[in-house]
Amino acid sequence: MCLRPGATRLRRAAWVSVLASAIWPLQAVVVAWVLGMLLEGQMVSPYSAAAIFAGLGAFRAALGWLVDRETQKAAEGVIQDIRHKIVEKEAVRASSNRFGGAGAIAALAHDKIDLLKPYIMRYAPARTRVMVLPFILIGIAASQSWVVAIIFLISGPLIPVFMALVGMAAKEASERQLQRIGTLNDLLVERLSALVDIRLLGARDQVMDGFADETRDLRERSMAVLRVAFLSSTVLELFAAIGVAMVAVYVGFSLLGVLNFGTWGEPLSPMRGIFLLLIAPEFYQPLRDLSAAWHDKASAEAVAQELDAWEAVDTEDMLGTGAVAVARSGDAGISLQGCVLNNQRLPDMVIAAGESVALMGPSGCGKTSCLRLIAGLSRPAQGRVEVAGQPLTDQNADAWRARLGWMPQTPHFLSGSLRHALMFSKDHDPTEALEQAGIYDVVAGLPRGLDTRLGEAGGGLSGGEGRRLMLARALYKKPQILLADEPTADLDHDTADTVVRGLLAARAAGTALIVATHDADLARQMDRIIQIGGEQ
Amino acid sequence: MKPLWKVFWLLLCAERVSLLRGGALSLIVLAMGAALLGLSGWFITAAAAAGMAGAGAVFDVFRPSAMVRFLALFRAAARYGERLLTHDATLRGLEVVRHRLLSGFLQAPYARMIQIRGAQALNRLTADVDALDGVTLRLILPVMAGAATHIIVFAVLWWLVNWQIAAWIFVGYIIGAGTILWRMAKAGAGVSRKAEAAGQAFRSRFVDLIRARRDLAVYGRLPQQRAHVLDAETRRRAELAAQDRAERNAGFALNLLIQGVAAGALGLGAAQVGAGTVTPAFAALGFFAALGLAETLGPMRRIVSDLGRMREAARRVTRDIAPVDVIMPNAVDQMSRPATPAPRLPLQMFNVSLRRPGTQTIAVKGIDLQVRAGQTVALTGPSGAGKSTLLLAAAGLQAPCSGQITIDGRNVHTMPEAALRDMLTLLPQRSTLIAGTLRDVLRMGCDAASDAELWAALHACQLAPLIEARGGLDLWVGSRGEGFSGGEVRRIALARALLRKPQVLLLDEPTEGLDHTTAVAVLHAVRQRLPQAAILMASHRVAEIEVADHVIHITKNL
Repeated sequence: MCLRPGATRLRRAAWVSVLASAIWPLQAVVVAWVLGMLLEGQMVSPYSAAAIFAGLGAFRAALGWLVDRETQKAAEGVIQDIRHKIVEKEAVRASSNRFGGAGAIAALAHDKIDLLKPYIMRYAPARTRVMVLPFILIGIAASQSWVVAIIFLISGPLIPVFMALVGMAAKEASERQLQRIGTLNDLLVERLSALVDIRLLGARDQVMDGFADETRDLRERSMAVLRVAFLSSTVLELFAAIGVAMVAVYVGFSLLGVLNFGTWGEPLSPMRGIFLLLIAPEFYQPLRDLSAAWHDKASAEAVAQELDAWEAVDTEDMLGTGAVAVARSGDAGISLQGCVLNNQRLPDMVIAAGESVALMGPSGCGKTSCLRLIAGLSRPAQGRVEVAGQPLTDQNADAWRARLGWMPQTPHFLSGSLRHALMFSKDHDPTEALEQAGIYDVVAGLPRGLDTRLGEAGGGLSGGEGRRLMLARALYKKPQILLADEPTADLDHDTADTVVRGLLAARAAGTALIVATHDADLARQMDRIIQIGGEQ
Repeated sequence: MKPLWKVFWLLLCAERVSLLRGGALSLIVLAMGAALLGLSGWFITAAAAAGMAGAGAVFDVFRPSAMVRFLALFRAAARYGERLLTHDATLRGLEVVRHRLLSGFLQAPYARMIQIRGAQALNRLTADVDALDGVTLRLILPVMAGAATHIIVFAVLWWLVNWQIAAWIFVGYIIGAGTILWRMAKAGAGVSRKAEAAGQAFRSRFVDLIRARRDLAVYGRLPQQRAHVLDAETRRRAELAAQDRAERNAGFALNLLIQGVAAGALGLGAAQVGAGTVTPAFAALGFFAALGLAETLGPMRRIVSDLGRMREAARRVTRDIAPVDVIMPNAVDQMSRPATPAPRLPLQMFNVSLRRPGTQTIAVKGIDLQVRAGQTVALTGPSGAGKSTLLLAAAGLQAPCSGQITIDGRNVHTMPEAALRDMLTLLPQRSTLIAGTLRDVLRMGCDAASDAELWAALHACQLAPLIEARGGLDLWVGSRGEGFSGGEVRRIALARALLRKPQVLLLDEPTEGLDHTTAVAVLHAVRQRLPQAAILMASHRVAEIEVADHVIHITKNL
């Protein structure tokens, strides 16, 4: 896992946290001294005792605050870097992704990598504390009583051994849980986008049952993770309690005068005894902290594995950056030669500037692939794509796309207003484009016109209306070439006519059309038909 | 706070016994923690005093030390039990909440259903519900158990030590923690809502970016949308930083409080020993109990950062949750049975007028029609004339603003949902396939269908050769029908509808995207599969009109 951006900050924070923990023995001295004096019947100033104890405590709290701040910042930095990387990569990926759908990727980038935060915040400081503090406390204890030091020495090392065992189990369990969360999310996204279908098919109970199984499974896995976590912290608590109890027994019997060994010379004084007892829990505390952080580590590692899986999916990027560019005028010829995409050989074609063509052929023959290659949205595995007399490259793709209009087969509406979804700018009136696409009346009839918010697949509009809005979006740009994927699918004859009229009007105004279509009527109105596949 | 109580109540109703037991155990754990430290402090100090007085031999070592061991071991066990119980109960309770949410989405009115965006609804079901575990685990149970512990310790200290020390610890902690919690919760209230909103924005914008990246690239908007995504992320980060700040300030304040109360207990104890009203051992008991009570403040810090998030999640979840369960609220208007005409025809419409979904404009006016068993009726008319709306109304998804639609003599808007779905199936213009094997996809239509039946339906839709060539019923269908063309997805959806063997089949432009021959073959096969069904379809294709027994033309209502 790459934590480099926050490494220095973390190291500093870790040492500050060591310092903060090292203050407790001083507070323990104050308490032991006060009680020791009181036992001997001597006067203690209550104010100064309380003030010194509180002052040290306040200093410790302030250091704790500092540690929090530094670790929080370090964690945020690391997470932000990863999140940016995911967004940058996904924006330009040319094909969909074996890793998962948009929902899964969004879940990874949004929720899952947040699981790294507790690990980054706690693990490194806890580890540093474990490496330093127990040794300091053994040293302090040994200076007072070798028996207590031996108790620490024996009980201390048992803890990491047990912890490692538990940590392994925890990692496995949390991996399984995380996977399950991923599946559940995908399952839900699917079902949520098919709500209407589920209702129409009367499949509600079927879906609810499936969901019940999934959630039960998830709960069981979550409980498995938690059980391991709880068990390990209970065992640690027990170890710590036994260690402290042994110190207490030794100290208690020494103070009663029953035990007379274990110190360097003189018998254990009440003050020293109380002091030893006060620092005993602190000896185990770093180990317990580390074990808590170990669980954070386990879930962070599971996330890291998913990140690796995401990174391992290596698909091509689309050409160029997808930014606005200045469209050049002039020759806009297109040629595809020997292109192969997704293991499919596409036909060679040359489309002259200004020529309108229809790509026809059975479903799955590669019509859409051709359109994507022409628009520089995919890279051919083999072969050449030439536009305007030059090979289409990363450098000229944006400028080339500035000349294109694009009508996808399935509309996706960006969340937000219809105006935003159609990428209409504020300062250029879309009325003409809407009219050309034969959709003006429908938009005008929406409750809030262009400010209406639609569901993601155009909820509230018919398929034909969604399609015509996509056409309006394309016409609004006044492109030199309009690439349209099945522009008349889902439209009745009259409406198809309006769309075709819109397309032809655009063509009359100088826009060349390249349409992939099943619609023979539409195809006939192009200059030329390019057959793809061709069994049918 | 109201939604939080509502959620707590929901969870409590679902898992009352476990939650109450868990709450009792958490009280025991906290009280034992304070008792353990207090007793240990007293024990050592008293032992020292006895040793100094030379009374070491008569000092009762056994009982207090046995008590200490018992408290230490039993507390660890009780904590384990408490955690398991409360977590398990909470997760179970949340499972119920999740079910009721999904159930709520599934029975939402059609107009709302189409507005539900996948990502937002998903958040509700996952992130929001997850956030609610804190309601029991980190908010209500710990606060109540903590408060009860303070009261118990106050009473015990008053009894054993004296009222001054008891009151100092009680008042100090309760007022201090109360003030910190109140101030921090107030400061952090808006923050988590904004962070949540920014997070949702990030998510849905990012999903948009991924799904529409090609459109965005062609229209030169890719960098803008990416900036839009990262902008939401920056906003969220700023809010999270504020939240982090609030959390560490709260942590700092709580630490100061603990140190202050403990220091005060130490000073008070010393003063009282000096005044001779308390023995050193009981002064130690007060001080150590004050330290032990620090544990009750442990969860407070998390509450500060979580409270806003939980409150928002609870508000959204309680809004979307299904009312108690299961009965589909299909009864729009309990109109008296129509003057039922003599023959009970599968599908009849009487003077039906409809609004365009989501608007007040009338789309269809005064439609009368009937479809007999075995008859095929085609609705024609321009796009926007309301053909689809009429089919939606016939399928009971949209209530007519006047008139009535009946199947088999029963009003579709008042009959039970399950009965309606058994008799009637609508193939809408766009269908969504759920990822899985083709077998799973088709079985959405009929749970119990055998492979032979599935093949027969595929045959009817002229899909069998294609599916056979590509691997049969185990063929994987990607999400949203990925891997299939638009026309294939439509035919799979049609096959799925056929498997339901409805008495009334409503088809919205069923042969879109098919060539003429295939379209005719599909329509004939559909009739063959369902010889007795009343079929009503919205059509614009010649093939569809050709196979119809009867054509009804709808004009655009302006």
